Amino acid sequence: MLEDLLDSVAQQSAFRHIHPGTKLVLCLGSLVICLLSPSPVVPLVSGIVLSVVLIVPARISPLLYGELLLGPAVFTVTSVMILLFLVGGGAVVWQFSPAPWLVLTVTEGAIRESTLVLCRVFGCSVALFFIVLTTPMTDLFNSMKRAGIPIELIDLMMIVYRYIFIVYDQAVEIWRAQVMRLGYGRPAEAIRSFSTLCGMLFITSWNAGEDLVRAMDCRCYNGVFPSLEQTEPVRMRSLVPVLAYLVFLGGVLFMASAGAVRLL
Amino acid sequence: MSVILEARDIRYRYPRGREAISGISFHIRKGEKIALVGPNGAGKSTLLQMLNGMIRPDSGTMLFDNNPIRYDTSSLRELRRRVGYVLQNADRQIIAPTVWQDVAFGPANVGYDEETVKRKVAESLRHVGLEGFDRRVPHQLSGGEKKRVAIAGILSMDPDVLIFDEPTSDLDPAGSEDIMELLDELNHEGKTVIISTHDVDLAYPWADRAILLLDGGILREDRPEVAFGNPGLVRKAHLSVPALLELSMELGRRGYAQPDRKPRSVLDMVEIIENLLQGAGWNGACGTIMVCDVDGDDCLLPAFIASRENLAVGTMGTRAKQRAQKDGLVVEFTYGVIDKCILRALRGQDSLILTTGSMAGRVALRVGLYCRESGNTIRVARLDTTVRPPVVRFQGDKGNDEGSGS
Repeated sequence: MLEDLLDSVAQQSAFRHIHPGTKLVLCLGSLVICLLSPSPVVPLVSGIVLSVVLIVPARISPLLYGELLLGPAVFTVTSVMILLFLVGGGAVVWQFSPAPWLVLTVTEGAIRESTLVLCRVFGCSVALFFIVLTTPMTDLFNSMKRAGIPIELIDLMMIVYRYIFIVYDQAVEIWRAQVMRLGYGRPAEAIRSFSTLCGMLFITSWNAGEDLVRAMDCRCYNGVFPSLEQTEPVRMRSLVPVLAYLVFLGGVLFMASAGAVRLL
Repeated sequence: MSVILEARDIRYRYPRGREAISGISFHIRKGEKIALVGPNGAGKSTLLQMLNGMIRPDSGTMLFDNNPIRYDTSSLRELRRRVGYVLQNADRQIIAPTVWQDVAFGPANVGYDEETVKRKVAESLRHVGLEGFDRRVPHQLSGGEKKRVAIAGILSMDPDVLIFDEPTSDLDPAGSEDIMELLDELNHEGKTVIISTHDVDLAYPWADRAILLLDGGILREDRPEVAFGNPGLVRKAHLSVPALLELSMELGRRGYAQPDRKPRSVLDMVEIIENLLQGAGWNGACGTIMVCDVDGDDCLLPAFIASRENLAVGTMGTRAKQRAQKDGLVVEFTYGVIDKCILRALRGQDSLILTTGSMAGRVALRVGLYCRESGNTIRVARLDTTVRPPVVRFQGDKGNDEGSGS
C-alpha cells in the first residue's frame, strides 16, 4: 500500500537522521518562497534543486520518485490545459473554432498565467514530497508538539495514524474475500459489494475501537500518551546549507521580481 | 506457596445474553503456571478478563492477594499494574505509532518519572529480545515481533501475574516455541503465568495445573496428566488427548506396564519405552551436557563449536538466542532444550547449551533430578570461553581435563 510504502521510504532515506526541524525549515521555506514568487522561474529552480537533492544525496529511487510525481502531474496538466483557454489578456496567439458558436483562444496572458501555475504546483509538490520522503510521520509528531499544537490533537493523530494501517488491512481483506466470490463482476454487483464492504468496515472499526479502550485500560491509562524524544540534535552541518539555499532562493525571487530573470 | 488470585462462586451473564460464567471457584498460587483450556465459547476470555478487573462478576467474589478486588478507578489501576493482560490480537493491543512509545505507555501512565520510564522500557525490550526496535513502527513488524512488543508493553509495568489470552494463536510453530520459552523464562523469574488455549499439546507439557472449562463451568482442575488423562472428559470439552498421553495409554492397554507418573515430555516417554525394552537401545556411556554462559563478549565460542564433531547446540533464553544469531551459530534446539540434550546424552552424544545468568543453574538441577529418578549418569560441565583455549569444567573439578584448542 502507498502509505506504508511512503513511510518505509522515509524510514530508509539517507536524510532520516537529520533533525525534522531542519527539514521542515527547508520544506516550508521553499513552499512560501514558491508561493510568493510572481515569476515561474523561482518555483522551477526550487523544484529542480530539491528533486536533485532527493535523488542524489537522499538516495530516493528515481523510479519511485517519478511515479509519485506522476500523480500531481496528471492532475496539473489537465487543469492547466483548461486554464489556457479560460484566462484572457494580451495578444491572441492561437485561435480554434470547433463549432460555429464556440471559439477557443489562447492569449499571451493565458500562457504566462498557465506556466506560473504549472511551475508553482511543481515547486510546491516537490517541497512537500521532500518532507514526506525523508521524515517518518512519527518524527513529525514531535515537531508538532514543539510547535505548540494542542497535545490532545496530537494524541488523537497518533492513534489515527496507528489505525490507518489496521483499518486499511481489514478493508483489503474484505475486498479480497469479495473478489474471490466474484463480488465485483457486474456494475450492480460492484455497488452492492462496495456498500457491504463499507458496512463491514464500520463494524470491525467499531470493535477495534472497543478493543482500544480495553487495551488502554489494561495498561492503566491515565491521560498520558508518552512521546519518543528526539535523539538527533540540530546540526550546523545540515542547517547551514538549508539556510544558504533559502537565501539563494530568496535572491532568485528578488531578481525575478525586479525583472532580471525571465522564463518567457 | 501463598494464593495470589482466587475466585469464589463467581457468576456473570452478558447483557441480554446467556450466562457466560456460571458459579466458578478456584485459586491460583504465586509462581504457578496455569493453562485455562476449553473449546471456543467456553468462557476462557471472560474468566481471564475478570482476573484483572476488566469484567466485574454479577455475583461472587474475586480476590487478589487475599483481598477482595475493589472496582473503583484507583484500585483497578493498581490491580491492572500488578496483573498484566496480553490480548490475543497484538495489533489491537499496540496503541502507539512506535515501539518505544507503546512499551512506555504503561509506565508513563502509572506515573513513573522520565528516567524510570526509560529504564523500564529498555529493560523490557531487552527481555523480549527487541533491543534497537525503539523507533520501528508496529505495522512493519512480523507477527512474532508484534507479540513481543505487546508482551514488553505489559512487562514494563513490572506485574506479578501475567495473563495471556491465546498466546500462540497467530504464530508459526517456531514463533510459538519462542513465546512459550519466554513464558518459561518469566515464570522462572518468579512471575505467575496464566494462559488460555485450546492447543492441548502446547498446554500439556508446559502447565503446572490445567483448568478445563466448558459452558462457563469448570469441568476439571488438576495436574495436566490427570486433567487430560480422562478421554471422556476431554471429548466432552471438545479437546483431544495430548499425543504423549495417548501413546502412554495405548501402551498400557496393550499390557505394557506403565509407571504411575505419566510422561510429560518425549524424554519421559523414551525412558518408559527403554524400560520396557530393558536396555535394548544404546548401552554405551552417556554423553556430556556442556553449559556456556554467553554474557561475556569473547569470540572463542564459534571456533570451539567447530572443533567438536557431533556437538549439538541449544539456546535457552532470549539473550542466548541473540548471541547465537550474532555469531552465526547453527542452533538445533530452542525449546525444551534441557530435555532434548538429555535425550542426546542418553544416545552417547554431547551437546552444548548456551544461556545466561541464573538459567545456567537450572540445567544442572534438571539433569540431576533426572539422573536421580532414572539411575543414569549424565555429566554436566561448564564451558569457560573466557580463557584460551576454552576449558570444560566438570562439577567439583578444578583442572582443565578437556581443554580443546581453537
